[in-house]
Amino acid sequence: MLIRQARLRARLSQAQLSERSGKDRAQIARWERDVVTPSLETLRDVLQACGFDLDLQLVLYEPPDERDDARLREELARTPQERLRAMLEARRT
Amino acid sequence: MAADDRFDPYTLLATLERHLVAYVVIGALGRVLQGSGEITNGVDICPSTHPESMRRLGLALTDLNARRPNGKPVVLERDLVGRPLLELGTDAGELKIVPEPPGTRGYDDLRRRARHEPIGQGLRPQVASVDDHARMLSVLSRDEDRQPLRTVQRMIELGPEISRGLHRGIDI
Repeated sequence: MLIRQARLRARLSQAQLSERSGKDRAQIARWERDVVTPSLETLRDVLQACGFDLDLQLVLYEPPDERDDARLREELARTPQERLRAMLEARRT
Repeated sequence: MAADDRFDPYTLLATLERHLVAYVVIGALGRVLQGSGEITNGVDICPSTHPESMRRLGLALTDLNARRPNGKPVVLERDLVGRPLLELGTDAGELKIVPEPPGTRGYDDLRRRARHEPIGQGLRPQVASVDDHARMLSVLSRDEDRQPLRTVQRMIELGPEISRGLHRGIDI
């Protein structure tokens, strides 16, 4: 997702990014579709070709909150129609 | 009646559909339809900027009695010029028009991964994908978007369950 995001923000086509980065266009497409994952070094190269960089630093890991996860799972088990109706009902109460 | 009480997404979306407007639902309502569990008071859309679709959007806005924050009626071709988005009040609630959401190339970009989601009353609006919602939120980098972004990222991690939710049989 990062590569696609960087490319779109740089307003480049996959062909233009291929030319700038020296990477194969089909490979860029595969990275963007998450079919394969580039190495960190390659990822930085491609992002830099788009004019961006990765600011890698350690941050504290926050495990998912169990109650939030339970609510999310419940929501995901609903259909879009049920989700909308539940939201409208929640607004009323 | 308070503005919040008027929120009727069915009327808003039905009006857009009736006029055959090409658009993708984005923002909080898009995330709600994907399963974020948020509460929202408005509909955000990314419309096609094709002239015919914009003409149809203009007709839909007239039907919805859309007006700008200053209460004046909206004139799309004038009011969208040089603005990243247009926030409107309508008889059915708030409507935000975002021709090119941050981090995207607009309608043609979003619609490729968007899906028509049945939401009842015979409506099947195109809704931006979870990945695209994450993309838009991460580019915005606003404080108020942190929690929605975290939720959407968790939805991506729980992907298979999202798919089950979206593919279940729907009562329309």
